[in-house]
Amino acid sequence: MKLREFAYSRSGDKGDISNLCVFVYDDDNWDVLRRELTVDKVREKFGGLVKGEITRYELPGTKGLNFVMTEALGGGVSRSLRTDPHGKSYQSLILDIDIDADTEIKR
Amino acid sequence: MSKGISIGSGSAYSTDRLDWAQELADSGLVDHMGFDCLAERTMALAHVRRLDDETTGHDQRIPELMRRFAGFLGRGGKMVGNFGAANPAAAADDVLRGLKLNGVTGVRVGVIHGDDVLDHVLDQDLELPEMGVTAQAIAARVVSANAYIGADPIVELLDEGAQFILGGRIADPSLYVGPIAYEMGWALDDWDKMGTATLVAHLLECGTHATGGNYVDPPYRVLDDIVHLGFPLAHVSEDELIITKLEGTGGAVDIGTMKTQLAYEIHDPAAYLTPDSTADFTQVWVEEIGPDRVRVGGATGRPRPDTLKVLVGVDEGWKVVTEISYGGPGCVERAHLGAEVVAKRLEPFQSGIDEIRYDLHGVSALFEGQLPGGEPAEVRLRIAARCDDRETADAVAFEGQFLWMGPAGGGGVNTQMAPAIGVTPALLPREDVKLITEVIDA
Repeated sequence: MKLREFAYSRSGDKGDISNLCVFVYDDDNWDVLRRELTVDKVREKFGGLVKGEITRYELPGTKGLNFVMTEALGGGVSRSLRTDPHGKSYQSLILDIDIDADTEIKR
Repeated sequence: MSKGISIGSGSAYSTDRLDWAQELADSGLVDHMGFDCLAERTMALAHVRRLDDETTGHDQRIPELMRRFAGFLGRGGKMVGNFGAANPAAAADDVLRGLKLNGVTGVRVGVIHGDDVLDHVLDQDLELPEMGVTAQAIAARVVSANAYIGADPIVELLDEGAQFILGGRIADPSLYVGPIAYEMGWALDDWDKMGTATLVAHLLECGTHATGGNYVDPPYRVLDDIVHLGFPLAHVSEDELIITKLEGTGGAVDIGTMKTQLAYEIHDPAAYLTPDSTADFTQVWVEEIGPDRVRVGGATGRPRPDTLKVLVGVDEGWKVVTEISYGGPGCVERAHLGAEVVAKRLEPFQSGIDEIRYDLHGVSALFEGQLPGGEPAEVRLRIAARCDDRETADAVAFEGQFLWMGPAGGGGVNTQMAPAIGVTPALLPREDVKLITEVIDA
């Protein structure tokens, strides 16, 4: 199943750093999210889009993850030549990640 | 004990719409409004405008703003905004003119000067880590430098009776932290209170981002009406923090919209750095208490950073973007061929091209091939380049349009060209930024 089926996201930008938050619709899926959505999975999905580090932070109060990706916006919003220099569309890419937890997910 | 404060969001960027913000102002629900008018690049572009004309470089919406918010000010409403951009003095002139034109009298205008730190950046040869150089190494190309300033001068001006406060690069959350701290009587070094104020500020500072903007994603995230979004507002008291929006407007204030805004553009949630505090959002909670009405809490804070973030504007020459569409069978192959032809034809200009990229809209422009799909019905080749000079940029534009004569069936050529201004961050010790506040009685 896709992450999009039980979680939602928004991307933000500061200079050449993109951050992607991911929250679950149903709090009961928080443990699965924490376990499954690893930095490795995000790195694999984003490949060459992210040239720097990816750090994962947790927001336990709101049951969310925040991925901070450096060198991820083609040199920074103002310098980038990319179509989407802010990485606004990154939220849709992360939600396309495959999560192998079909039977566990509460819908 | 303070009775609390009701504060609304009026603007989240330089071209945000003011009509819906006016609805909030006129509703009588808020007595304060904050206006963020600057994105990272807006500031540098404002400096470029000012270099052309000394009387500009500030928010160009001020005449409209004064017309729309004359009623709010007339009823004693208070407004804080970074309308000054690169020229707070010119912004103040426009505000005074607008007050007079709209018949508003007795308004005390507060102006914050001193966020322009270009001299410091060059004198101290500050490091520009994202560019991998120091300021002096590219001194000829540095066009601006502004420090993100905090709530202190806002509180000071409110205390002096200012009703309309403007400055240059006031940090987005500080536009709200200042009024909240002032009205609640919270000390600026009460770090948990500053963390709390920063939470409210962060939920308001992006305007409709908190009420359903950049949110809907059917069939999972659906809202009834996103045509006419309401701007968010907060009711802050010692007991609780309420976020809501104007009744009758579209969008939503619910757990989903609040959470996505909570984490928007923060990095380490345990250390959200602003000029006012190091806020900790890890234990923040959101609770729905009614239609489009949430209670939030759980933010704490630690001392504010000793340094202030500075955004340095850098002249990057010229940016040119040229596009052409191909459709039908073989369109992707023809678009690739078009890109190859242009790359060859531009070889003589290589030394003047800092960076160039070829993207296929509909195939790989957003994700660079990280999300593979099938053959599309149509594709748009986009060629984007940053060039040292106008002549080279013209050559890129020329070769883009000449794709009329390239692979078959290319149509819809469109070219844009503009001076390229980049911004890059630096850090400056707080004590190096000397702010000056001025009060003008209109």
